[in-house]
Amino acid sequence: MARRVAVVGGGISRFDLPRYELQEEMCAEAIHEMLMDTPGIDYPRDVDAVIYSYFSDHLEEQLCFHWIIHDYLGLLPKPAYRVESGGATPVDAIINAFMFIKSGIFNNVLVVGFEKMSELDTPKVNEFIAAASDTDFDFPVGGYYSGYYAALEVRHMFLYGETVEDLASIAVKNHNNATFNPYSQWRSQHGTSYIGVDEVLDSRLIAWPYRLLNCAMISDGAACIMLTNEENAKKYTDAPVWITGVGLGTDTMRPGDRVDNPMYKGLYLKDESIYPDVATKPAAPYPEMANFGSIRVSGDAAYKMAGIDNPLKQLDLAELFNPYDGVELVEYEDLRFCKRGEGKNLVREGVTEWGGELPCQVSGAHTAAGHPVGATSIAQAVQIYWQLTGLTAKKWGTKARALSDAKRGLLQGHGGTGCQSGVIIFEGG
Amino acid sequence: MAYRPRKILKSREYNREWNEWALKGNWSPVGWRWIEGPTGYRLDQLSKGNYLIIQRPHGSLYHHSYGLLSKFFKGFIEKKLYGAKCPRCKAVFCPPRAHCWNPECKVQRTEWVELPMKGEVFTFSVMAFSATPFLKTLPFIITYIRVEGCCTTLPTRILQVNPWEVYPGLKVNLHFIDNPKGEIMDIYCTPAEKPDPSKFIMSKEEIERLKEDMKKVKNWVIRKFGSEAQPSIEI
Repeated sequence: MARRVAVVGGGISRFDLPRYELQEEMCAEAIHEMLMDTPGIDYPRDVDAVIYSYFSDHLEEQLCFHWIIHDYLGLLPKPAYRVESGGATPVDAIINAFMFIKSGIFNNVLVVGFEKMSELDTPKVNEFIAAASDTDFDFPVGGYYSGYYAALEVRHMFLYGETVEDLASIAVKNHNNATFNPYSQWRSQHGTSYIGVDEVLDSRLIAWPYRLLNCAMISDGAACIMLTNEENAKKYTDAPVWITGVGLGTDTMRPGDRVDNPMYKGLYLKDESIYPDVATKPAAPYPEMANFGSIRVSGDAAYKMAGIDNPLKQLDLAELFNPYDGVELVEYEDLRFCKRGEGKNLVREGVTEWGGELPCQVSGAHTAAGHPVGATSIAQAVQIYWQLTGLTAKKWGTKARALSDAKRGLLQGHGGTGCQSGVIIFEGG
Repeated sequence: MAYRPRKILKSREYNREWNEWALKGNWSPVGWRWIEGPTGYRLDQLSKGNYLIIQRPHGSLYHHSYGLLSKFFKGFIEKKLYGAKCPRCKAVFCPPRAHCWNPECKVQRTEWVELPMKGEVFTFSVMAFSATPFLKTLPFIITYIRVEGCCTTLPTRILQVNPWEVYPGLKVNLHFIDNPKGEIMDIYCTPAEKPDPSKFIMSKEEIERLKEDMKKVKNWVIRKFGSEAQPSIEI
């Protein structure tokens, strides 16, 4: 297992609603950008295999869409398959590619992600996304993901006391970051002016405590990233970024099943003990419905592989899976940026803001850069790659959100209501 | 034919017009638009493009089996609430599972037990937007209810309560609707006790904001659906 895996390039075709180009055309744009930035890649000869990432056959109105894309991009007859795991799809696709190279089966693997969500109206898109929840139990009650996640956040608020103002602060941070990102939907639709907490609290209620500006956008877009082995990495670039840790984890399909879960009981005793008296302690106090066990498991595995024992100190940036702002706050806890129940303190102290100790979502991420599901985490990985290689200022046309001397970044992605999660650690040369 | 059964024991047959409906559309375009829109992979590099947009409908009708959980949903039609109990670890599941998930129990088959129509709120959300099928009933409150004695929580709606008066720990009674159809929406809950204001999780300011939100959502639903609107929250 001594083989090292590198990122040698990436591209994004901007996120917006709608994009009128076809899925394969957006993918082509992302790949073209990558090839312009990493001219050493002899495309398509140097591509040994491709992993495709897209979430919904319903939204695309096309099954096996990757067959269209694969031949469109001139990649026949190379091996390729599609990965699908809800919101975790793109992070899983990258981890698949990582494992391909780690195993020695392939030397260079391209990961291509896309989603087109604009062909149906918003309630219908919500319906088709909610088809990824249990359609016999959760879906018919009318929750859909905004409702499930809101209920999870209400539980966390009840136990640990963060407020709607805390959630709004996260929205402000991410939207204002996105105003600099020329690939972002918020900048396309809103422009470059900043918003404040009041704008978030005045936006339309979606599912209490979440308002429109606390929620992921519905988006079209594409992204790609190229992974290689060590030998090839040095051929393509002087500045490869290494993947030094990956982790995967799972939790229940139905969020309501997390209260007495025998599989989690006793796994994290310290977190089980951080449980306030306001509630009767369930049999499995961590994660129960307040936290995300799958994220903890995946994060710990990635930290172990990368040799990280103090993520807040050892990471320079993080791109998290943030479909709703409470999720980001809870992830701070599950990824051990702070203790359980202290996510609100990180928000209030500005730790994850631009200029803070660990900037999170510099791209703007799901609620502001946009969330074309199959592309989102790949685009976030590309943004981390740009930050670690010093390319951000050039790609964004501004130094305003370019980190200087960033060494290590974390990408976290998950699907469902945290039903499965993946974490990847990236390190600059 | 999907699910052509050997023997139908009992049924409420569906209107066969749904078969016709499921064939409607058939992926054939019903309209088109030639439009102008941007093209380009980055915001600072956009140019003008033209696109043909077609409208293409297709319906479908699923014949869905509830499998080994069928007794649970058949119970709704008979207005009885069942849980699944593991004979080894004694855990009672509602939502039920036909096989126990406890690692100690080695995927043991569970047994059916009748459950009391009461429990408590584990968590909730006040819905002000939704997926297509539920828009007409906005605003509404979803809850996850721990039915008494159960180790999982059941998604249901809560009625006859103001949204700010719901909190984790609130005791509830469960009820069946008058004409159950064999789905999770056949069951709902109402408070079994007077909500205790000291346990509300919303601030006074937030409650006032929520009241305004509820009015706005209700007006939006009525504007959109007219007499078909069925808002579930009365303020």
